[in-house]
Amino acid sequence: MSQGALALIFSAPAVLIIAATILVPFGMAVFLSLHNWNLKRPGRERFVGLENYSDWLSDRDFWVPLQTTFTFAILAVAVIIIISLLISLLLNERFPGRGVLRALLLVPWAIPSVVNALLWKWLLNPQYGLVNAIFFEFGIITEYQNMLGSMPSVMIWLVIAYSWIHIPLATLLLLSGLQTIPGDIYESAIVDGAGIWQRFLTITLPLLRPMLSIVIIFEMIFAFKVFDIIFVLTAGGPADATNVLGWQIYTETFRKLDFGAGSSIAMLLGGITLALAILFYVFLDKGVEQ
Amino acid sequence: MKQRARIRLVVIYIAAAIVLAGTVGPFLWLVSSSFQYERQLLNRPPQWLPNPIVLDSYREIFEGAVMGEDSGVPYQSRIFLRSFANSFFVAGSVAVIAVMAGAYAAYPLARLRFRGRQVLLFAILASRLIPALSLAIPIVLVAKRIGMSDKIVSLVFINLSFILPYVIWLLQSYFKTIPMELEDAGRIDGCSRLQVVHKIILPLSLPGLTSAAILAFLLTWGEFLFALLLSESPSSYTSTVVVSLFATDVDVSFVSIITAGVLSVIPPICFALIFQRYIISGLLSGSLKG
Repeated sequence: MSQGALALIFSAPAVLIIAATILVPFGMAVFLSLHNWNLKRPGRERFVGLENYSDWLSDRDFWVPLQTTFTFAILAVAVIIIISLLISLLLNERFPGRGVLRALLLVPWAIPSVVNALLWKWLLNPQYGLVNAIFFEFGIITEYQNMLGSMPSVMIWLVIAYSWIHIPLATLLLLSGLQTIPGDIYESAIVDGAGIWQRFLTITLPLLRPMLSIVIIFEMIFAFKVFDIIFVLTAGGPADATNVLGWQIYTETFRKLDFGAGSSIAMLLGGITLALAILFYVFLDKGVEQ
Repeated sequence: MKQRARIRLVVIYIAAAIVLAGTVGPFLWLVSSSFQYERQLLNRPPQWLPNPIVLDSYREIFEGAVMGEDSGVPYQSRIFLRSFANSFFVAGSVAVIAVMAGAYAAYPLARLRFRGRQVLLFAILASRLIPALSLAIPIVLVAKRIGMSDKIVSLVFINLSFILPYVIWLLQSYFKTIPMELEDAGRIDGCSRLQVVHKIILPLSLPGLTSAAILAFLLTWGEFLFALLLSESPSSYTSTVVVSLFATDVDVSFVSIITAGVLSVIPPICFALIFQRYIISGLLSGSLKG
């Protein structure tokens, strides 16, 4: 038997499952996005071409959530990258207990996003939350507040809660990047009299750049698709302050039951995510070559 | 010089303490809260450690599951254990099937030369770029039409497709690390390709298969979007869905909500800590959680 035929047989089960649940639905999603398809008005389904798309592109309900998504994603990626870079630099040092600390990083990582949202809902409770208690004890606030009740604090806390479970993986990946940097480069830099900050800027950062780019791209893609934590923590509120595209798609489709409009805005989100991924890839990769 | 080493260690341990507090602190507070009386939770300032240790909320969940409506326990607490079992079933099935189907699909990608190999590899990876939200719309529509909504088998099937690309990627990179000579020796001894896979590749890949299975289990355990959209009754709710039902209901006592959160992260956290080596190596060679 030829190797091609073997490959076909071996990969058939997996490929069939992926095709049935990803490729076919993707095709159907494209189809739906070109139709008027509202479950509340059955029997009125009809082909409308790109009308759904042009409707969205002239609708505030697309542009405002898009802006919110950008704000959220940029803040979240910044927080994740800065903190995980700091933690990975710490874990790159040799000290007793390092392995334990690295293992415990998996605790937040293993927590499902919905449970994470519940955890932060409890921490941020307006009457009894720990965050309120700590801020109050330290005199940062004079009375308990509803942190999720107004902008900008709701966005800040959403970003913190989201980042908390995303930092561990980013840290492990950056750590693996740090560990590929040979130690003797640092030693010769020390001999040359380079300070710690200089060594970070001239050795660590440039050599970490490939891994850093990958982590930034992945985190950006994830942050753009954010949904679970919104569902539990803010439901897009208060007053649409955290209404990201993922939440907009959900309400449009599964609350208003407008599957045509929902599919087309979902396609737009997919397109933007993909475009960003490519853009970042090209941009960051070029930077590496220079 | 000794002085400097000591200062270095002090700085490291201060940083490590901050990281440790940030990593496990929020989760430990959730655990501590779950062992307190509701009225203690409402104390200002908060009571850090449970005193006495109260197991009422845990007992509620077990009584509710056994006695049903007679127990007088809130609806979410009564259905929680069932959802817990559902999560185990879905995540366990996905882990087993994904590794089996994934291993056969990964072998040709790692070892055979055939036309379209690159295309297949790329397609498998690219399928993960499509946002789940855009696929969810047609999948829910079809599942309802063909009567597959509200069944946990559907959840197994859907989760498989998101996990499989990931597992295939991880396994094909693992298979590549197995020396080609071993396989050639088997071929000379008259093994067929299938026998080579069964007798040489799979037994030697046990660590890789283990990490793939554990990661598949953990990712599926935390999945929320499809679990939410494809379930309509306790018979198919997974624990993440019930946690979201808890978290978005204002009438349930805090301690019940918190307890459900703690219970639903016990399996993933135990898994993560017990198998941390496998998980870290799997995460570094594969893709990411999201």
